[in-house]
Amino acid sequence: MEGVGLTEYLVVAGILFVSGVVCMATKRNAIGVLMGVELVLNGANVNFVAFSRYTKLGLDGQVISLFVIVLAAAEAAVALAIALNFYNNHLTIDVDRGDELKG
Amino acid sequence: MSNEFLLSAIIFLPTVGALVLSIMDGGAEKALRKIGYFTTAATFALTLVLLAEFDSSVSGMQMEVKAEWIKNWNVNYQLGVDGISLTLVLLTGLVCFLAMLASDSIKKDIKGYLILFLLLETGMLGVFLSLDFFLFYVFWEVMLLPMYFLIGIWGGPRREYAAMKFFLYTLVGSVLMLIALLMFYFGSATTTSPGSFDLLHLARIGQGKVPGLVFSETLQMTAFVLLFIGFAIKVPVVPFHTWLPDAHVEAPTPISMILAGVLLKMGGYGILRIAFPICPQGAQWASYVLVFLGVLSIIYGAFAAMAQTDFKRLVAYSSVSHMGYVLLGIAVWKLSEGKTVGAEYWKMGMNGAMFQMLAHGISSAGMFFMVGVIYDRVHHRDVNKFGGLMGLMPLYGGLAVGIFFAGLGLPGLCGFIGEVFTVLSAWNYHPIMAIISASGVILTAGYILWTIQRVFLGPEYKGPHPEAITPILPREAFIGFVLLGFAILLGVYPESMFGLMRESINQLVNDLVKVDMSSLAGVNTLLKR
Amino acid sequence: MDPQTYQSTGEMLRNLLTLAWLLPLAGFVLEVFAGYWSHRLSRAAAYSAVFCIAAGFVCSFAALMYWGHQTHWSALESHASPADHHDVLKYFSGTYYTLAEFGKLRIAIDYHIDSLTLVMFTMVTLIATMIHIFAIGYMSDELTEHYEDHQVHTAHGHFHRPGRFYMFFAYLSLFSFSMLGLVLAGNVFQVFVFWELVGVCSYFLIGFYFERKSASTAANKAFIMNRVGDFGFLIGLMILWTWFGTFQFNERVESDANGRDVVMPGLFDMLRDDHGNVTVLPANDHDSYARVFLADPGHSGALKHEGHKEGKTMPYFLLVVAGLGIFAGCVGKSAQFPLQTWLPDAMEGPTPVSALVHSATMVAAGVYLAGRFYPMFLPEVLLTIAYVGCITLFMAATIAVVATDIKRVLAYSTISQLGYMMLGIGVGGWTAGLFHLITHAFFKSLMFLCSGSVIHGCHHEQEMPKMGGLIRKMPITAYTMLVGVIAICGLAIPGISIFGIKIAFSGYHSKDAIIATAMTFSQLNGSHFLLFVVPLLGAGITAFYMFRLWFYTFIGQPRDHHVYDHAHESPVVMWAPLIVLSFFAAFVAFKGEAGSLFKLLLDTEPASVAHGLHDVGLAGDLNFPSHVGIEENHKAAGLYALLVAVMGTTLAYLFYGARVLNPAEVKRQFAGVHNFLVEKWQFDILYDAAFVRPVHVIAKWFVAFDRNVLDGFLHATARTAVSIATLDRRFDETVVDGLVNLVGNVTYDAGRSLRYVQTGRLRQYVMFIVLGVVGIWIVMRLFAA
Repeated sequence: MEGVGLTEYLVVAGILFVSGVVCMATKRNAIGVLMGVELVLNGANVNFVAFSRYTKLGLDGQVISLFVIVLAAAEAAVALAIALNFYNNHLTIDVDRGDELKG
Repeated sequence: MSNEFLLSAIIFLPTVGALVLSIMDGGAEKALRKIGYFTTAATFALTLVLLAEFDSSVSGMQMEVKAEWIKNWNVNYQLGVDGISLTLVLLTGLVCFLAMLASDSIKKDIKGYLILFLLLETGMLGVFLSLDFFLFYVFWEVMLLPMYFLIGIWGGPRREYAAMKFFLYTLVGSVLMLIALLMFYFGSATTTSPGSFDLLHLARIGQGKVPGLVFSETLQMTAFVLLFIGFAIKVPVVPFHTWLPDAHVEAPTPISMILAGVLLKMGGYGILRIAFPICPQGAQWASYVLVFLGVLSIIYGAFAAMAQTDFKRLVAYSSVSHMGYVLLGIAVWKLSEGKTVGAEYWKMGMNGAMFQMLAHGISSAGMFFMVGVIYDRVHHRDVNKFGGLMGLMPLYGGLAVGIFFAGLGLPGLCGFIGEVFTVLSAWNYHPIMAIISASGVILTAGYILWTIQRVFLGPEYKGPHPEAITPILPREAFIGFVLLGFAILLGVYPESMFGLMRESINQLVNDLVKVDMSSLAGVNTLLKR
Repeated sequence: MDPQTYQSTGEMLRNLLTLAWLLPLAGFVLEVFAGYWSHRLSRAAAYSAVFCIAAGFVCSFAALMYWGHQTHWSALESHASPADHHDVLKYFSGTYYTLAEFGKLRIAIDYHIDSLTLVMFTMVTLIATMIHIFAIGYMSDELTEHYEDHQVHTAHGHFHRPGRFYMFFAYLSLFSFSMLGLVLAGNVFQVFVFWELVGVCSYFLIGFYFERKSASTAANKAFIMNRVGDFGFLIGLMILWTWFGTFQFNERVESDANGRDVVMPGLFDMLRDDHGNVTVLPANDHDSYARVFLADPGHSGALKHEGHKEGKTMPYFLLVVAGLGIFAGCVGKSAQFPLQTWLPDAMEGPTPVSALVHSATMVAAGVYLAGRFYPMFLPEVLLTIAYVGCITLFMAATIAVVATDIKRVLAYSTISQLGYMMLGIGVGGWTAGLFHLITHAFFKSLMFLCSGSVIHGCHHEQEMPKMGGLIRKMPITAYTMLVGVIAICGLAIPGISIFGIKIAFSGYHSKDAIIATAMTFSQLNGSHFLLFVVPLLGAGITAFYMFRLWFYTFIGQPRDHHVYDHAHESPVVMWAPLIVLSFFAAFVAFKGEAGSLFKLLLDTEPASVAHGLHDVGLAGDLNFPSHVGIEENHKAAGLYALLVAVMGTTLAYLFYGARVLNPAEVKRQFAGVHNFLVEKWQFDILYDAAFVRPVHVIAKWFVAFDRNVLDGFLHATARTAVSIATLDRRFDETVVDGLVNLVGNVTYDAGRSLRYVQTGRLRQYVMFIVLGVVGIWIVMRLFAA
């Protein structure tokens, strides 16, 4: 287990984050975007946990990641409701079709 | 009625009338007019009560009322009456009552007219009765606005111009007065007490009777000039007079009556009540100019009247001429080497000037009314296009000629006493001025007789609407008789008025004579050489 | 007379005269109001006026009798000099009421009663009564609803109006009241008051036919000319008032509020001592003017002992100016040169008015005042009065010669006779002047009424060239007129006297007295010989033009048959007064200077007159004749005057009676002079050019000044204010508002340009966030380094 250190965790977390961002930026499907968001959050969680293990952050990092998970769940609930509403209004969940907030 | 309440009642009774009018229906013309008659009649009755209560042997203020108004600035609601104001209050009551009776020719928006009329009366009475300079100033302005609207709305074709001219002139006067007011206020402040607006107190300071507090010579001179110009506009004194003909020509008849009968007197009253007592040194210093302007007004007004063809304008210029005597009489304060010479002649001049104000109040109101009577019928005022009215309207002609003769200064009628007394007192001041002022008798006779000839005499009426010439109405005849009656009363028995005002005026003269003029002697010698 | 009798006499006289004075006023009020509201055809107003004035006459006459009784007619006893009686007060004076009082200065309505007042009252009321009665007949054509005025033409022919009978009598009553007030006045201010009042009555009466342009113009002219004189009067009053502090004629004692006796000062007592002398202090080093001493009231006069006197002084020349000023008033009222032009025009009034106002009473008021005020006149003033009278009497007489209007001849004759009176007073003949006033009042009012009767009889024809031979149609008028003519000419039968009484009418005596005084004066002052020559010459001219009038009108063949055929004698109500007046015109001066009228007047003569004055005046070269001196010349003067008058009469007879000489011939030869006289010495033209027009021009200038300069200044100020305001508005609109708007616009534009970033696309926003994060990271890296 010597080979696995902080760097590896951070790399994984970075990949997760970048994948999430790319997913958010490329997916036109609202659900896809949501999933990208989850990926970004999880990337951050991995970072928190890794820092709590390898630095003096201690349990704080793990507590925060727990909070993030809870928040993510809540956010997903809200976001899914929005998506449903969006669908009701536009009969699609393509986010590019929803540009009513255009300036 | 208690005396404390009487003065306030006189001032505000017209306001109450105006309030009553304001809640009435504007269409009920007869009821509105009745309220108007009643209010002015009641006010006149109250002034008669004041006359009955008045003690003419007392020289000072009577029935004084003093209540705090604006404490921070030491402004008081202070009223009082003495011989000088009493006579003018009586005149105001009378002229307003008669003018109200003469208002039947006003048809347009009668409600607004009556309300403004009554407010105007409040303003005028307030000016004559207030003893606090600030209060005086407020009433002065109160009177200004209704007048502006009365001319501007109910006037003739050029009413806007006339109203604006009147307003601007008077406003300039008020502003100058305001400056003087502030000068006195701050000048009378000491380390222990704030400044004062109390006219009596200010007069005591001005006359050097308050220990440790003086109005310096410079302050007196400056303030006097400001006050004098302010009041001279109102009198009006040449060269501040050009508002008068325009205002008169455009104003409706009753307003002309008030304008000539009462409003002009406020200028003379202001000079007597404020300018002279508070700034004796300034007054003495300027007396030469005052006398000169008085004489100039007499001659100038008479000449200008002679050249007029508009009947009302002619009468307006005659007012300028007649009010010149007022200024002349007030100002004949002869000083020689720091001492007053012939104080009794000055007293005579002052009394004569006051009398002239009353006499002019009667005669000029009458003259304007008489012009109004014929104007209401034929709707023009061109003197050259009348004629024969004496034959067509004999009663009107007789009354009008009587009143015009009162203006001419015929003995036995009111104009004579005032004119001749001021002129007689003037020789003591300066013979040349006296002679020039006396020459006014020729000019006055000239323009009045010429007018009578063109308007009343001759075989036939030469102007438009000859069919409209109808005999004088009983209401009009009543006004004419009242005015002529007063003109005769004052002319035959002037002591009736002199008796009321003599003590107060003599007291004023005695006070002023006692003021130390030594510092002025030098200035005067320089000026008069 | 003891003090109590004195007081009770004074009260009685006052009551009687006051009644006589105020009755016409009551009459006026009654007539004017009752007349207006009553019937046009009623003569009640006339009866009321006649009653009032007649009752006034009864009162006046009673007062005169009472006065005589109380003084035991001492005035009529012959005494050498009235001044010897100065221990007895000859006058009664007091106050009705005070007009005004300023400290020691007091102006009141007073009365002053002495023999002059009483004589004047009696004369005025008597003549006025006669004229009132005459006027009932003369004015009867006004008793109609449709009076046709033939002299006024309108588009519809002659002018018609309701008659004004009552107004005429109301005016007459008012005039009587004013005139009596003038005579009764106890101070000079009061004289001035009534002076103006008679003036205005005269104005109304001249302008009675006010529909006529000529009448109303004449009325204006009369009033304004009088005002010119009154201007001088006023100057005189101012000087007296300032230096004397009183207007009262003579001093008197009155009780004040505390019951103490107070001496009310009088002008005469302040200026003159008991002998009527003025104390003149000549100019000295301190004082460049000569001064006159004025006694302090309370220390002087007949009421106090002589002796210690205190007082003040006033410049001599000012007192001269004051005297001239008062006299200027007299000049105006008595139509003297140079203010004489109004009187002929005043003949526009109805003839009774000319008789009452413009010949007998009002115009004589100037002479009355000159007499009343005599003690205030210094020698220089008297000399001026004499010369003014002299010029006037000559000038007016010459114009009367060429006048053809019967009333105008009489008007000029009046002016001329008033000139005689003034001359008489001016040369020191106080009593002579006033004597002539009284006699003239009777014969001139008589002649005016006669002319009125002629005019009435000839249906308002006034031109003498259209008359002639009227004596056959109206004998009473003609003969009464002849009495007047003889009286004014001063004809008498010389050398013959019955019981020592000369056979002569009143005018002879009074004119004789004046000419005798003038003759004595010119003997004493050689350089002033004209003052004798001119009146003597004037007497001849007077006789000429008066007889010319009489011959022209009554004698010879009718010149205009239309006029002649319709002429008729007047009714009894008109000729009865003529008879009465002709009686007085003939006999009022009965016995001349020994007669009662002269004696009565002499009783009031000022103290200084009787003894004459020697070497007076500022230059010290004037002498005034004494009674004794005049007495010496009396006979000679009378003879000269008579001679000249007879010459004038003869000449008139030759021209107009016998028609031996042809007046037209003379007229042609002296056409220049004739025109000059017909044009009244060009005075009207001169005054019009010198005064009337300039006044109108100046008036126009003043109005133009008002309109162009004063109002121009005002308008320029207003325009400047408006243009400044306009500038201010521009500045506000461009600069201040511009700045504010600029800020707003920039903000708005910035916002507008940024809105394009807000696409509303979710994925773009994510991209922006990413790019932003990366950008921030890069920046941080760069700066951290």
